[in-house]
Amino acid sequence: MIQWLTATDHKRIGIMYMVSTFFFFVVAGLLALVIRTQLAAPNLDIVSSHTYSQVFTLHGTAMVFLFVAPFGLGLANYLVPLQIGAPDMAFPRLNATSLWLFIFGGLTVLSGAVVAGGAAASGWSSYAPLSEIRISAGAGQDLWIIGILMVSIASILTAVNLMTTVFLLRAPGMTMWRMPIFTWEIVATSLLILMAFPPLASVLAMLLIDRHLGGHFFDPSQGGNVVLYQHLWWFFGHPEVYIMILPYFGIVTEVVAVFSRKPVFGYVELVLAAFAIAGLSMGVWAHHMFTTGAVNDAFFSATSFLIAIPTGVKFFNWIGTMWKGSIELTTPMLFALGFMLNFLIGGITGVMLASPPIDFDAHNSYFLVAHFHYVLGGGSLFAIFAGLFFWFPKVFGVQLSERLGKWFFWLFFLGFNLTFFPMHIMGLEGMPRRVVTYPNIEHLALLNGLATAGAFVIALAVVLFGFIVLLAFRKRVPVPNDPWGGYTLEWATSSPPPEFNFHSLPNISSERPVFDARQAAARAAEGLA
Amino acid sequence: MPLFHPASVQARLLSGDWTIFLVASLGVAVVMYALIILPAIVWRRRPDSGLPPQFNKNQRWSIVYIGVPFLLVAGLFVPSELRQKQVDAIASSPSVVVNVTGFRWSWRFEYPQSGVTVVGTPRTVPTLVLPLDETTQINLTSVDVDHSFWVPAFLFKRDALPGYDNHFDLTPTRIGEFRGVCSQFCGIDHAYMLFRVRVVPVATFARWSASKGRATL
Repeated sequence: MIQWLTATDHKRIGIMYMVSTFFFFVVAGLLALVIRTQLAAPNLDIVSSHTYSQVFTLHGTAMVFLFVAPFGLGLANYLVPLQIGAPDMAFPRLNATSLWLFIFGGLTVLSGAVVAGGAAASGWSSYAPLSEIRISAGAGQDLWIIGILMVSIASILTAVNLMTTVFLLRAPGMTMWRMPIFTWEIVATSLLILMAFPPLASVLAMLLIDRHLGGHFFDPSQGGNVVLYQHLWWFFGHPEVYIMILPYFGIVTEVVAVFSRKPVFGYVELVLAAFAIAGLSMGVWAHHMFTTGAVNDAFFSATSFLIAIPTGVKFFNWIGTMWKGSIELTTPMLFALGFMLNFLIGGITGVMLASPPIDFDAHNSYFLVAHFHYVLGGGSLFAIFAGLFFWFPKVFGVQLSERLGKWFFWLFFLGFNLTFFPMHIMGLEGMPRRVVTYPNIEHLALLNGLATAGAFVIALAVVLFGFIVLLAFRKRVPVPNDPWGGYTLEWATSSPPPEFNFHSLPNISSERPVFDARQAAARAAEGLA
Repeated sequence: MPLFHPASVQARLLSGDWTIFLVASLGVAVVMYALIILPAIVWRRRPDSGLPPQFNKNQRWSIVYIGVPFLLVAGLFVPSELRQKQVDAIASSPSVVVNVTGFRWSWRFEYPQSGVTVVGTPRTVPTLVLPLDETTQINLTSVDVDHSFWVPAFLFKRDALPGYDNHFDLTPTRIGEFRGVCSQFCGIDHAYMLFRVRVVPVATFARWSASKGRATL
């Protein structure tokens, strides 16, 4: 226990990071079930409006800040040093600082639920003036601000650590252009964190100053400006979307290549696309603000459309990687394919929402809710499970059941689409987001009923996942170092890897050193025969 | 679904944009779904599969898969932008002006020309009366937090922001009663911050205005 609490080893920190994000995922998921129960039928009154506001605020906050974004950093913590052949992160103690700052930041946000007045209740984006003290007086909002500040500082420190590690600790032969795509995606992600999180910390500090030190940043009666809050929030918020997706593009790329038994189709293009997406994502923020009437719609619409191009490059390279391959439909591969199918829908509706005339109707409706759940749930979350099934044997030295894993995939895929596809139509039928209930008009009763049923199918799938993990630790079937026929350096060491990762490294002369070593061994064996 | 029954001149434009994008999206989705699913079936690993050919990128393809999406989004941008300009255009001499104010948790509709004022509460939903086929200019603001004025039948919403005025035109083309909602979360009674839009013939509207809003519609 003490060993874990005081750990500075990147693998232990990575595991604790991922396990704690999963704790927050379960909390956020249970909150989602409360939301779906309240919305199961029109005009229900299962939870009060005040409780409901806290529930969706914490659901969104936990999913975004405490699960999808930090899980990528936790996985990067574990994998990046292994993938580049390094013994640890560049700053191991700073790494531990990030981890504990993150955990206590998350708990600080959640602790609002037990103080007088309840948790923060102004949405995950906490727009001012709604979040100002004259309207949201409770301590829950302050705990939310302070908790998110801690999480944002943790993320900045982790980004610095990861960048330094990648630039300075690569093994001999591991040039930048031989790094695994996952590691490249983490470089792009870290860059985005360094650009996006300081503005987040600023807007949170400004809100705190308004609330407690007599500031008027967002108070129009004193010369403040409410649109400014939205600008600062989304200047962070849109890059954040890509912070929550780039690492997962990396997972999907690795998984697709290994289970197609081919090199990635366009390595350089995938890397350049990641940086193109990162760059463009800094210039699209006001597409979240078309309906304010206070931004240049044409500019932000154009830049948002352009992001479709590098994202398309990603898709075509995954397809090119599968083309004429030898595709094995393992659980990780199924999840990677599920990622592509779901994320495609989220991407398409993203292009639609980038058209201001469509946004005028769809913004802040359930169409938007469907859109971002297809991106973050159908996309990122599916990639997270692809990664978990792929690297679990490496991390813990035991295999997750493939048979049950496939059941889990189909259950989850079905539940996900059943929950979120109907939401597109709810939006078109005029249902705004963040409402505690809705009238029995058009097909809202049927559509919401389907979504609620789907949510419980997802819950069942997640319970099955928990069972699969428990079963793996009960059975303890040992796995070889490289159960999948992997390409990258983490497969060259034992499962789990020893302290400081490697006893010896293979020769690194391409982006697939372990594949090269395997081929060389096979040729040598043939020669002997 | 409102999308197929747009109830204003502006909504027809917006519905046209939806149609273009829905058709294009469906096309892209079908092609991409096929490209993602087919390889997983056609080149599925069999017990006797050896190592497949280890080829990678082909420069010609990258020109295609960058070029085609570029043309597609450029082709979508133009009609989208033209429609946005038309929808946001404001008539220089609107027939009716309504000052709309959002507050927690209802709406105030003020007709400066006739002196009529309608104020709602979360339990008594206010009605915004508009004349048919005439252009009404809405001046929109808020007195407390961010709200948003959304009439699904008009396929249109605009935010009501404290300290900031928004202006837009509505030209209803169908007689009837339409649902209006607040679509920016604003606190406990956000879901009940509703209003009605009642579109009536010009003569009825004139009578209603002359009676200071007391005449039955």
